[in-house]
This record gives sequence, structure tokens and C-alpha cells, in this order.
Amino acid sequence: MSRKQLDATLMTVAALVAFGLPLVVTSPTYLQILILLFFYAYLTTSWNLVGGFAGVLPLGHSVFVGIGAYTSTILTLQYGVSPWIGMLVGGVLAALVGVVIGLPTFRMRGAYFCLCTIAFAEGIRVMVENIDSLGPLKVNGPRGLLIPLKDPSFWHYQFMSKLPYYYIILVMLLIVLTLTWFISRSKIGYYLAAGGEEPEAAAALGVNVANCKLLSMALSCFFTALAGTFYAQLMLYFYPKGLMGLDLSFEIAFIALIGGRGTIAGPVIGALVLRPLNEFTRIYLSDMLPGLHLVIFGLILILVMLYKPQGLTAPLSAVYDKLARKITREPNAKGVAA
Amino acid sequence: MKTQGKGSLLACCLAAALGLYLAASPAGAADKVVKIGNVEPLSGPSASVGVQGKQAREMAVEEINAAGGIKSLGGAKLELVYADSKSDPTVGVTETERLINTEKVNLMTGCWNSAVTYPATQVAERYGIPFVVPVAVRDTITERGFKNVFRVAAKDSWWVRDQFRFLKDMQEETGTKLKTIAFVFENGDWGTGFAEKWRELAKKDGYQIVLDEPYPSTATDLTPVVTKLKSANPDVVMLVSNAADAILLTNTMAEMQVKPKVVLASGGGHADPKFLENTGDTAYGIFDEVEWNTDVNKPGAKETNAKFKKKYGYDLTGESVDAYAAMYVIADALERAGSTDPAKIREALAATNLTSGPAMIVSYDGVEFDKDGQNKNAGIVIVQVAKVDGKPERVTVWPKAARRAGYTPVFPANK
Repeated sequence: MSRKQLDATLMTVAALVAFGLPLVVTSPTYLQILILLFFYAYLTTSWNLVGGFAGVLPLGHSVFVGIGAYTSTILTLQYGVSPWIGMLVGGVLAALVGVVIGLPTFRMRGAYFCLCTIAFAEGIRVMVENIDSLGPLKVNGPRGLLIPLKDPSFWHYQFMSKLPYYYIILVMLLIVLTLTWFISRSKIGYYLAAGGEEPEAAAALGVNVANCKLLSMALSCFFTALAGTFYAQLMLYFYPKGLMGLDLSFEIAFIALIGGRGTIAGPVIGALVLRPLNEFTRIYLSDMLPGLHLVIFGLILILVMLYKPQGLTAPLSAVYDKLARKITREPNAKGVAA
Repeated sequence: MKTQGKGSLLACCLAAALGLYLAASPAGAADKVVKIGNVEPLSGPSASVGVQGKQAREMAVEEINAAGGIKSLGGAKLELVYADSKSDPTVGVTETERLINTEKVNLMTGCWNSAVTYPATQVAERYGIPFVVPVAVRDTITERGFKNVFRVAAKDSWWVRDQFRFLKDMQEETGTKLKTIAFVFENGDWGTGFAEKWRELAKKDGYQIVLDEPYPSTATDLTPVVTKLKSANPDVVMLVSNAADAILLTNTMAEMQVKPKVVLASGGGHADPKFLENTGDTAYGIFDEVEWNTDVNKPGAKETNAKFKKKYGYDLTGESVDAYAAMYVIADALERAGSTDPAKIREALAATNLTSGPAMIVSYDGVEFDKDGQNKNAGIVIVQVAKVDGKPERVTVWPKAARRAGYTPVFPANK
């Protein structure tokens, strides 16, 4: 068995496990936890397109989740447009906003860029909280929007069971992971990596760093906004503080940093570690110490940054490499013996 | 030896699996327990009211269980299962789903915050689990045509409705004629919302509006407002104020000798204990609106309040009385349903007509739900600030059935 075959087999097994999991996990509560796990893995993978590969640290991505949720929901509530169409409209809108924010901010480096994205995100959130209606569009200020129950159907994006939500977010996650894989192996991926690490050197070699970053930002915002619609349809209710607040932006960055920025598996590994922790501390420990999960997040982040600053993916893939070498060598060794 | 060890391990596993299975299976009549899920703000900004609601529920459930539980279910006991909403709508929704799916509750109550109750009740509606809302005032909670949502307390717009009912009843009772009316209110969401409904009802009841004056709640001087009030000289002044401006208005009106026949406030600042501390004699005669008052003249109210105060160290409030009464509404429905099936409980709740029993310490006369699940009979209490034993006290005057025994309202307060 060659290394390539091994990789492919493992990936197929992982995908099969993910698709077959609901056969074992039937409790809606646990299914919901899995859905949110994939939701965060998806969000972080989308974030990773710009936050990981372009070498900048945007900390205001929740605003694009908000744009997605508000666009599709307002279109559904006021104009009867299916959330599936609204989701794409929201994605395009978010990409445009992302480019508009990116144009001035990508000139900044390091912490200044972070702070700027926070400022934009918070500014937009406060605006939404103070706007009751924007022209004919009912934004409903801090009260948020409630999506009324409709007959459960694919077109309405509403289902009685958690299962369809599970598969929708799983497919979305696989799509964005595949896209990340392609980008990381494409010219743009290399341009981005070069521009992120040594912008001057990359520019000197003829790479249009700014355009590459804007492209990755637009893609990242587009996919992030799709998650907003998904969340709105899953919960059927959202409000600015919960959906567009900094908590969500930070959690995305946490997951990426702990899992490993700029790697394909990082966001998934980060979500696998942090999401269950979050859910179980909330259910079982919230009576004792509200906010404890954030303290635990912080501790884990400190430990990871101290000992594995590249995130958990690097050591894990080292272990995997070792194992893979052993496994792939074994048939060879046998072949020699025979 | 070794096999024996394995055997006992296996037995342990089996027992654990059985336990899990039992815990996960829906609570049937055989279990003799009816599980009631409660989503309440137990931490965060509204934690204190959440805890009040929790304690009121616990006292009611203790009483119900001690009296033999639900007899039609073979003495089934009520069991309360709590979840903390943190006043956060998203957490409220997630916890409601968890209580319904994992805890397998037979029905739900909660959530005090309108913002949490609004989406959480939709979750229950989706699963067909009855949701009894003791108190959460947003009108639209029971205006969505839901089948499984039942609200015991009055909704927002009824606070204004009852102010005008009070005026009408009292004019009839005392033979007074009130013709002109003035609106003075803080210019926020709350005040402007009230004023909007006031205008509508004042027109309907034939009052002449002589002043319509919003003011900023943060004002440090309200003399201009009071001057306008003096020249308009209305029979009735309707107020919506926060604490500081309520005190300022009352004292400025006394200073400038503005004496309308009736001053009617809308709770909030006027219900704040600070109001009576800082107005002294100037507050006498003012009418204010609350959900419940400790002196309501209803059978059992005094005893229940005394019992609650002894147990938890503070008086019952409007919110906790609603929570307490809601448990009896649920017990009554379960008794008639004779089943723990949510659909049957829902039918029984819809047919509720409760006019007696411990729940009737509420200020109104009964619980009966309309087709959207709103208690048709729910109402508000009007109190008057009066001198009792030399100290200002809030005395219940309206509805007449709940009026403090032996008290005659001073209406009009000024000739």
C-alpha cells in the first residue's frame, strides 16, 4: 500500500464515519452538538482561507455570519424568497463587504489589522442593534429576527428532525475543505503564503499580494455568510449580540489557533477539541461558574501557544507520518522477505 | 475467580445500560412523575427574578405533592427540571430543545424574559409540547396562533387597557366626571409605546387630550414640563417614569401647586421603593399600576405570602405569584387530562377554567385561555399611595374585588 492509497483510504473512512454517525447517535441533543461542531469547523475553515493562508488575523468574522443570516431571513420574511437563494445573495453581499473592509485594512500589519477588523465588526453590530428598519427592510434592532414555523421542507430550509441539518452542514464542510485543499495546492495558495510571510519579497517577484489577499477575503466572507443562513434556519431565531458579537469571532480564531492556522485539518481538529468542551461545560458546569468554558479555552490556548505554537495539527501529523511510514513500509518489508 | 470478576463487570454494565434506558425513556403514568421543564434566567442580569420564580414554583410543587400529587394519575408527583437561560435567547432555545429531547419533559414553563420566551415557545410549538408562560409580557407571544402556548399573566397592552378601565370604574363608583387628560412620559421605547396606546384609548373613551409631553428620563429639571401641565390644567395625568424622574416630577408638581384630580402612573419608577422614600408627603393620592400587591384582598393571599416570606425571607412579587399560580394551573390541567401525553395535557390546558384554589391569590378572578392561549381574565392591580400608621404605603384599590378591606380610595385625589 502506498502512502497515497493510505491517505485516500483514511479520508474515505473518515467521511464514511461522518456520514454514518447519525445511525449511532440518534439523540437530537447529541446530534445538535455534532451539528454545531461541524458548524464551527466550517466557519473556521472559511476563516482559514484568509486568516490562515493570507497570514493576517481577522477578528471580526461574525459580522459576515450576521450578513448571511439577516439577508436570507429578511428576503424570506418580507419577500417569500427561499432561504437557499437568500443564502447565495447573502454570500455575495458579504463578499462585497469583505472587499470593502479589506481594501483599506490589508495595508496594515499585525495587531493593527486585528484591531481594525474588530472595530468594523463591532461598528456594524452596534448599527444593526440601533436600526429598526432600513428603508423597507425590517431589521428589528436588538430584538433580532424570528423565523416563523413553516411546513418542514427542503425548499423552506426547515425540518422537523435534526438529520437534514446534520447532512447539510456536513456537505458544506466537505465542500469548503475541498476548496481549501485546491487553493493550498494552487498558484494562489503559494502567492498567499508568500505574501503572508514576506510581502515585500513576494511583491518584488511580481506577485500581486493585495489582489490575492482580497480574493481570499472575498471567498472567505462568502462561505462564512452561508453559515449565517444555516444557523438562522437551524435556530429559527437570532439577534445581533448573539450572532454578530465578538464572542463568535473570537471562538473562530480560538479554534483556528488551537487546531493550527493555515492547515487544512486544523479547523476540524480545533473544533473537535473545543466544541464538546464548550457544550459539556455549559450543560454541567454553568450552575457553578458561568463563563468557565472561556477560562478553559484560555488555558488551552496558552498551553498550545507555549508548547505547540503551530497548533495541534503539526504534532498530530508528525505522529501520523511516523505511523504511515511504518504501515507503508511493512508490505515492502514482507515483499523483500518473500 | 477471573470469570466471576468478568461476570460482575458484565452485570454492572447491564445495570448501567438499563439505568440509562430507564432515564431516557419517556415518563409514563407508571413512573408516577410528571416532568415539568423550566427555563429561567438563573445567572446573568435577571438572575434575581429567575430565582424568585424558581422558589415560588418549588413552594407550589411541594404543596401539590404533599396534598397527594395528581390523583387522576394515581397520585403522580410533579418534578421540576431547571435550565438556565442566562437571559440569552439562543441559550434559552438550546436548553428548551434539550429539556424536550433529552430530559423528555411532559410540559414546559418559563422564561420570564420576553426575548427568551418568544423563540423558546416556538421550539415547544414545533415539538407539540405545551408551554405555560407564567409571565413574559410581550404581546406577540400569544398572538401567533400557536396551539401549545398558554400565558397566565396579562400582556403589555393590557396594562394600558386596565388603566382606562380603572378610570371608568372609579368614575362610576364615585360619581366623578373626568373630561380632560394629559400624557407625560419618558421618551424611550417604554414611554412612547404606552403613549401610543393611551392616545387610542383616550379617544375611544371620549377624553380631551390637553397635553402630550415626552421628556428625557435623564432630565435634572422638569419645571418646564410641570409649567405646561399647570397651564393645561387636566383632570387626569397619565405618567410613565423611571425612578429619578418620577421623584422629581412629583416633588416639582407639589412645589408648583399642580393638583390634577387623578395622577395615574404605570409602575416602573413609581413602584421603586426609592420613590416613596424620596417624595415624603407629596406622593399621597397618586395611583400606580402593578401586577400584584401583598395586601390584595383575595382568599389565601396573606397566608401564602406569610408562608413564602418565612421560607425564603422576602415578600412575593407579581412575577413570583404568577409562577406560583402557573403550577396550580398545570396541576389542574393534569388532573383533568388524566394522562402525561403532551397532546392530552394541551387539550386540558385549552379547556382550563380555574376560579378557585390556591392559584386564586392572583389579583384577577380566574384563568381561562382564549384561542391563542392568553388568559382572558388576567389583569393588573391599581394601588393608591395612602397614609397608613403615619407612613406612606401602597394600598390596593382596583379591581374592586381585590381592594384592601376597609379602604376607601380617595378619588378624585384633589377636588
